[in-house]
Amino acid sequence: MTVLAAPGDTWGISGPAFLGVYLLAALVIVVATVVHRLAALAGPPVNGIGQLGPQQVAYLNGGQQLAVWASVGGLRGSGAIGVRPDRRLTTGGPLPAGITPLDQAIHFAAGRNATTRELVRDEWVIRALDQLRTSLEQRGLALAPARRSALRLGAFLLTALLLVGMARIVAGLANDRPVGWLVLTQVPLIVVAVLLHRVPWRTRAATRALRDLRRQHTYLTPASAPAYATYGAAGAAMGVALFGTASLYAMDPGFASQAEIQRQAISGTGASSSGGGCGGGSSCSGGSSCSGGSSCGGGGGCGGGGCGG
Amino acid sequence: MTGPHGVGIGWRPEIAGFVADLPGLRFVEVVAEGVAAAGPLPAGLAALRERGVTVVPHGVRLSLGGAEPVDPARVAHLGAVAQRVGAPLVSEHIAFVRAGGVEAGHLLPVPRSREAVDVVCANVARAQAALPVPIALEPIAALFDWPDDELDEADFLTEILDRTGAFLLLDVANVYANARNRGADPVALLDRLPLERVSYVHVAGGAEHGGYYHDTHADPVPPAVLDLLRELCARHRPPALLLERDGHYPPAPALRAELDALAAASGFPVVT
Repeated sequence: MTVLAAPGDTWGISGPAFLGVYLLAALVIVVATVVHRLAALAGPPVNGIGQLGPQQVAYLNGGQQLAVWASVGGLRGSGAIGVRPDRRLTTGGPLPAGITPLDQAIHFAAGRNATTRELVRDEWVIRALDQLRTSLEQRGLALAPARRSALRLGAFLLTALLLVGMARIVAGLANDRPVGWLVLTQVPLIVVAVLLHRVPWRTRAATRALRDLRRQHTYLTPASAPAYATYGAAGAAMGVALFGTASLYAMDPGFASQAEIQRQAISGTGASSSGGGCGGGSSCSGGSSCSGGSSCGGGGGCGGGGCGG
Repeated sequence: MTGPHGVGIGWRPEIAGFVADLPGLRFVEVVAEGVAAAGPLPAGLAALRERGVTVVPHGVRLSLGGAEPVDPARVAHLGAVAQRVGAPLVSEHIAFVRAGGVEAGHLLPVPRSREAVDVVCANVARAQAALPVPIALEPIAALFDWPDDELDEADFLTEILDRTGAFLLLDVANVYANARNRGADPVALLDRLPLERVSYVHVAGGAEHGGYYHDTHADPVPPAVLDLLRELCARHRPPALLLERDGHYPPAPALRAELDALAAASGFPVVT
């Protein structure tokens, strides 16, 4: 009975023949996509990354909200900003030397007595964050939104194939033909399609750099009770960048709670090991939808959508 | 013995990043009770060991001056830490921290009586028997003297060092504090101590409260203590100096300036 086509075959193709072609197509799509992704998500070699500032580290570790918190930590560490009883920010002193555009924007917003929640929606802050993201994209550490979309091509092709498979199942059932094997192939392919749809927003080089930085800066974990006065503003900013706003609470609990900064500890292990657990990868796409605050900031162990990939 | 050499700083987790960044550092001290006898060393400490920095465990809980024999478990821990960090020696205080099962929570002075000398020497001998490396003994700062003191500070210490063969860990801030608070001359004590037995010297900051000088370890090192350090080095320069800072850590430049001041007062190479 194993002929290529028989009168009763769905769409005029025999079951085994369809299944063979179907699986081959799926294999080609998956292999090509995985190979392409491995290359596209590699990023620069270890020694080609160069020095990363606290805000860059924060952006890679937890998106734009964490970059804002890192800047707030640095500005607070140098006494340049404070908080008023009405929970609005205020400027506490002149800007120190060596500040970034983001520092400037946040200091400016503090001068206008913004709340910390308003910071990510501030026009100047958004512009500084865009600048920060662009620099990370150019260095091969973060992925531009267009690039992330392009990397989803494989997932879309696989989805199309799945639809064809579904159609064949429906037609086969209507035709009273066996569809068991085809149904069985659909399940793993759906899982693979979902996985391929997730595209991390930083490269493996960035993940590796973050892991190295965490190891180099173990002394900044809130558990070590770091002497923030000794480490200065840059140490405070790096502490927030690597270990979350728990560092801000360790450094200046009065300021952090009065300014209503969302408390979040980044363990580091979750974000760097595997991307699988971080379903929120797409919520950070392009970095622009992170302003919702909780979608990225409250990531907890996941480092705010830090999909290691 | 290749003991500690040059200017060092007390390693504390709070300033581990600062200590790690000192390029010329050859010597640190670590609070022995803060290091586990097994398991990995704290990351910063392990990195210093890889650099070949000498690490000296400093005990604070042995209670060598206590009436009861030293706890073998505590001695074993001190010895285990010494082996883990490859220490050339360990140090402890001539003080008691518990009596009759009650923990005092800090170092209390021992009366300078003949009986106390016997008690301390017996405890030091017990510790020495169990420790893999030599021990250096540190006299503590005291705001008061016991009424039954039979010996003065110099005789008391010399007697203990002679009988035990231990090294001396001299704390110039303590010497300064003790002399200041009793209206005595700190330099006079230096002249009567066996300075050749000093393995290293503690230098710490303090502050004045209510007419007394308190050895706080949380304030800058006052000029008078640096002067005393200069006097000490002029008589017999100790092999190593250690800056002790335990709280209110200042900005890095201030801490570096204190280390530089120690180097300047002693003529040791700058470590910053």
